[in-house]
Amino acid sequence: MKRLWALAGIGCLLAIATRSRLGQVVLAEATSDRKGSQQVTFNRDIAPIIFQSCARCHRPGESGPFSLLTYDDVKKHARQIEVVTRTHFMPPWLPESQALKFADESRLSDKQITTIKNWVEEGSLEGNPVDLPPQPKFVQDWQLGQPDLVLTAAKPFQLPPSGSDMYWNFIFPLPIDRTHWVKAVEIRPGEKRFVHHANILVDRMQNSRQREKEPGSGFEGMEIKIESETFDPDSHFLFWKPGTTPYVEPKGMALRLDKGTDLVLNVHLQPSGKPETIQPTIGIYFTDQPATKFPMLLQLQNDAKLDIPAGDKNFIVSDELTLPIDVDLLAIYPHAHYLGKDLRAMATLPDGSTKTLIRIPHWDLNWQAVYRYAEPVFLPKGTTVSMRYIYDNSDDNPLNPNDPPERVRGGNRAKDEMAHLWLQVLPRNFDPNGGDPRMALQEALARHNLRNNPADFEAHYNLGAMLLRQGKAGDAIPEYEAALRVRPEDTTANNALGAALLASGQPDRATAYLRTAAQGAPEYFDAHYNLGNALASAGDFPGAAEQFAAAVRIRPDDADAHANLGSALAELGQFAEAKAQFERALEINPSHALARENLQEMQGAASHP
Amino acid sequence: MVSHFPKCVPPSREGIEKRATQQRTSFLSLLLPFLLLAPAYCATHQTALDLDGNAANPLMSNSGHSVVLLFVDGFCPISGRYAPEIQRISREHQKDTRFYLVFPDKSETPVNIRKYLHDYGYSIAALRDPDHVLVKQAHAQITPEAAVFDAKGSLIYHGRIDNLYASFGHARSTPTTHELEDAIQAALAGRPPSSGGVAGVGCYISDLQ
Repeated sequence: MKRLWALAGIGCLLAIATRSRLGQVVLAEATSDRKGSQQVTFNRDIAPIIFQSCARCHRPGESGPFSLLTYDDVKKHARQIEVVTRTHFMPPWLPESQALKFADESRLSDKQITTIKNWVEEGSLEGNPVDLPPQPKFVQDWQLGQPDLVLTAAKPFQLPPSGSDMYWNFIFPLPIDRTHWVKAVEIRPGEKRFVHHANILVDRMQNSRQREKEPGSGFEGMEIKIESETFDPDSHFLFWKPGTTPYVEPKGMALRLDKGTDLVLNVHLQPSGKPETIQPTIGIYFTDQPATKFPMLLQLQNDAKLDIPAGDKNFIVSDELTLPIDVDLLAIYPHAHYLGKDLRAMATLPDGSTKTLIRIPHWDLNWQAVYRYAEPVFLPKGTTVSMRYIYDNSDDNPLNPNDPPERVRGGNRAKDEMAHLWLQVLPRNFDPNGGDPRMALQEALARHNLRNNPADFEAHYNLGAMLLRQGKAGDAIPEYEAALRVRPEDTTANNALGAALLASGQPDRATAYLRTAAQGAPEYFDAHYNLGNALASAGDFPGAAEQFAAAVRIRPDDADAHANLGSALAELGQFAEAKAQFERALEINPSHALARENLQEMQGAASHP
Repeated sequence: MVSHFPKCVPPSREGIEKRATQQRTSFLSLLLPFLLLAPAYCATHQTALDLDGNAANPLMSNSGHSVVLLFVDGFCPISGRYAPEIQRISREHQKDTRFYLVFPDKSETPVNIRKYLHDYGYSIAALRDPDHVLVKQAHAQITPEAAVFDAKGSLIYHGRIDNLYASFGHARSTPTTHELEDAIQAALAGRPPSSGGVAGVGCYISDLQ
């Protein structure tokens, strides 16, 4: 009986000894690989890496699915951490290392990755407590303190539990009564674990509201276009991705927000398996220092060349633009959809030297981001900026939205493709009295796009808008006409052509286009307003009054619309109604000259019949 | 890979209590039997548990049905994303197959699991497997993963549910293969599954021995 007991005991001991022996072997190999260095410990070697590169997202309330703040946290997920760092899935950082550095690069070094691997293989030891660095401290609430303006989406979006990725747009009307300058925006996209990225577009014309089924409902769409009838180029990236801290604009640069502007938040969502309620919030920080430097978002694109045969593994799209002025390149934002594979942007300077602006060898739409350079990159006049994107439309690409692969062309839907490269550039060395230097960039871009694609609606439209802004209504008209040949029903282009014709003294011709715009979009304020002006110019005051009344209905707080309605009513002899409109215009804008003059004239006429 | 689950039966609660009583009353005379039993006891006292803390072995109570174990983790986003698909599969095959969600995380509590089931709308049975008894029987490594045992208790499939995920963070718009459903049908038909089992993409099970 004792012998059996002894055997059982020995068996247990043997098992333990064997395990220990195996552990020693593994350790010996690991130690040998690292040439006699110490064992890796969490406290000394791993915590600094985790705290620096992982904890920002892997903490309560952030996008990481679990916290990585303590030894127990990290040990529990040690194997996972080893794999995702070795495969460069985490931390997410797409660009390869290059000479031009980006701010906040979150790439782990090969040495750090090896350290993590060794730590896991050696048994994930905790180490000496005195080696443990303090946990990183994070601001728990608004990152820059209480914002000056906090906006919450009017209606939450209910993300369904299953299905593929979704793109939802929330419109935030700005409750401001005058122009403000913005130095920072913090985007709180809602439940961060289900939001891949979010992007704010400035909608100065409230165009996006037309896509909502009802006010505040938001609308679906991966890519949205914000149209403007004047030269007012986008200038700032307002972008959120996991781990983002709000970007504070450098001195002299601020984003202008006017009364009546909408912010449109485009959010990329991934179903979680259960219904989720997404209701983003935006915090805006104003500055009393108006901008003195005006950057521009320059877009290279060649979607017209995107016609990718099914099965093609290496479809290449390229584009290039030669800069007409000196600029500083501040940030870059490459963009493709699910077929994008290898994205590269280069700059060839006038002296023939080249710079890699960005190279993403394994494009991943899910981790798209705006990359800001650590230092501005000077690109002198004559520099050619080029992009070269490679697409994989084969079965080898697991993200291919079509099974089996289908022919894919450029477009706005997730199953379409895009070949876009956005550059934030700041003009440099320009004549301060020579007008807005960005116009040269915009004109170069529009003409370049038209060379790529003579039927490019937006290029014709933008060229027309820029020429109109320069007071060249006669030159703008053929560009708008060309845009309308591409999209005859487009209400914005019809309105723009009407406005250009009106500005060039052709109200009769203008009327037809403006009427098309107003009828095509009954809630389109500008079309009604411009049509009212065209009809008034042609002497049709009943028609003008009708259009201004429509404009007033759409924007009850627009002083110009009230004043013009008053003028049309006065022409029709409806003085009491006219007086009310002038008074309303002055109530909205006490310094409205036209309303005041007309009101005084009417009062004078009334006192001296 | 086909293997059989162990034939040993975990001691019932009554059995343990009885042994404890005997130990108190006659320690010396029972020393040997107890120690002789020790290795087997070590192996069999560890069981999966239901949410009330009772020992549970779904493979011993299958009433002649196939059994599907679905290993999931509360913190794992990919586990969560599969909830609608797991429920669809379980609904469509519930007539002939028994489904169990298995939570292998040692620190997972019944309270958290009940909340998880509620949040994701699960109606299938859930088990905790803190000692990784089922994990070992199913050769599970990752959550979410599935294991299919036929009516005889043979493990005929273990691996991913489908190929929705090609790799970390890379989900197809829809899966193009459905390994778990194929294995369920194979178990019913008495044929080998089409796939030998591909590891799932998801979260590594912690503290795996």
